[in-house]
Amino acid sequence: MALPESFGPSLQSIRNVEVSSASPAPAVPLNVVVCLKQIPNPDLQFQVGPDGRDIKRDALTYKTNGSDEYALEEAVRLKERHGGRVVALTAGPKRAEQMLREALAKGADEAVRVAYDDPAAYDAMKVARILAAAIKSIPHDLVLTGVQSDDHINSLTGGLLAGVLGHPHASVVTKVEVAPPAVTAHRELEGGDVQVVQLALPAVLTVQFGINTPRYASLPAIMKAARQPIKELTPAALGAAAWDDFAAGYAFRVRRLSPPEAKGRAQMFTGPVPEQAKRLAALLREKGFYRG
Amino acid sequence: MANVLVVAEHREGKLSPTTLELVALGRALASGAGGAVKVALLGNGVDRIASQLAGYAEVVLVQHPLLQDYSPGGYVQALEKVREAADPRVVLLPHTPQGYDLAPALAAAWQAPVVTNCVDLALEGSTLVATRKILNDKLDVQVEVSSDRAYVATVRPATVKASEPLPSPAAVKAVDVSIDESRLGARFIRFEKPQVQDIDIAAADIVVSAGRGIKDKKNLPLVEEFAKLLGGVVGASRPLTDLEWLPKTRQVGQSGKTVRPKLYVACGISGAMQHVSGMKDSSLIMAINTDPSAPIFEVAHYGFTANVLELLPAVIKELKGR
Repeated sequence: MALPESFGPSLQSIRNVEVSSASPAPAVPLNVVVCLKQIPNPDLQFQVGPDGRDIKRDALTYKTNGSDEYALEEAVRLKERHGGRVVALTAGPKRAEQMLREALAKGADEAVRVAYDDPAAYDAMKVARILAAAIKSIPHDLVLTGVQSDDHINSLTGGLLAGVLGHPHASVVTKVEVAPPAVTAHRELEGGDVQVVQLALPAVLTVQFGINTPRYASLPAIMKAARQPIKELTPAALGAAAWDDFAAGYAFRVRRLSPPEAKGRAQMFTGPVPEQAKRLAALLREKGFYRG
Repeated sequence: MANVLVVAEHREGKLSPTTLELVALGRALASGAGGAVKVALLGNGVDRIASQLAGYAEVVLVQHPLLQDYSPGGYVQALEKVREAADPRVVLLPHTPQGYDLAPALAAAWQAPVVTNCVDLALEGSTLVATRKILNDKLDVQVEVSSDRAYVATVRPATVKASEPLPSPAAVKAVDVSIDESRLGARFIRFEKPQVQDIDIAAADIVVSAGRGIKDKKNLPLVEEFAKLLGGVVGASRPLTDLEWLPKTRQVGQSGKTVRPKLYVACGISGAMQHVSGMKDSSLIMAINTDPSAPIFEVAHYGFTANVLELLPAVIKELKGR
């Protein structure tokens, strides 16, 4: 259960720092854990695998989940403003180390991979319980993650993490202002409306696209990240005998994957561009949208 | 007997229309299991919404000053009382920024299994079977969850037809609660409205929207030229407004505008749920995308599998050339 000391100063010692109310700059360092997920590039075309319970994975390329990129950037910016540390955390197979190295190159101080090797991991509650067990052993004031993973589109993991950790949470966050002991977050609702909320630290926030502009890693940072160690956590390191110990007390099973029922599918045009252009122009005239 | 509880969503005195979709789905789920659908309405000064909802299903009404605005902790505390009154087997929430904020909080409080963003739900005995969309809506997945505990599920808006009204209004049952202010979780501070100083794309007859497929901001004039030729306006999918290539006021979709023009042309937009929910009711939809499996072609009437940067100049030439 014990983790290496390099996880940084304990939360308790941070809390003991006295801050003058007149102090213009925030002086309390902020420890942030950012949860990242490596997902199949969603622009690809997907086929159902032979057992029908997952996609074919042999020819996939992977990338960091879109909104997690924004969560990472926000974590690094908070560290730059407040001081403190950013730990990039994932649960996934070995291939996810590539993503963690990118996170290190973009400003994370440490990277931890929970070696939960299920390539698909459909049971969000199980994943959240595993991640929460890892987070409990890392000093943190804030946990950030993306609003949803673009592969499973659950919008669930962040909220579940908060539940397991016993922290308050806010989702779809487009602005974060930390003033210990609280954090103010802007939540994006439908139609562009914003709900401003306040939470006590430690808290969990799920970050929405567009909150910032994620940086590119510099070449020296990439070189340095390539040599940095990535911590690997096994079930034993989290006090369990096997990952299945983290399953919630109910049965969860993927029945099958299938292509969507083709309902109301478009009349499709393919072929050379000039031909398609003629058809499109003709349609616009025929339907009365262009009278020239 | 399995009752289904719908958690109504409302904001600033208005009921969210997706609530009535959940009532329809909840009724179908409950009737197959010998139960009833009930609606939990949590708020303050919401009697008018309560009587509106009673036209569709029995309402369990919880009013409290601390429920004036949504907070996950406030709602969880109120729903604990509703649970005693309604004994739900399944709790349904809309898959909206409020619904998927509340669902995991409720699941944690009740130690309940949770499935989100469902497009269909069924009870098979005591097993909940959920159909969901994954991987940019390119595949469906069916999952099953089995538990003695109540299930929490969020349902994607606009996938189920809204409930018809009942022949005569159902009962409104008021339940008293005390809310612990120290356990609201994320505490509501205020709403902020976007400042509008732009054309209203929702008022246009023709909307030509650009997505990631236009690759570079310098290609935007091409889309503008095409829109102008048709007498339309330019809209955008979220990635473009995030990049600030176009103002937020031009964004079509869940977090932007909902548009229903006579013609909607999607240029290089893959058609993620968040976008499609804001344009699928357009009278005529044309989509241009290089990927024939892009979900935009599921809602479009005409689909062109081409690079928008090649096709649009050719179309403009065709239109002008005569």
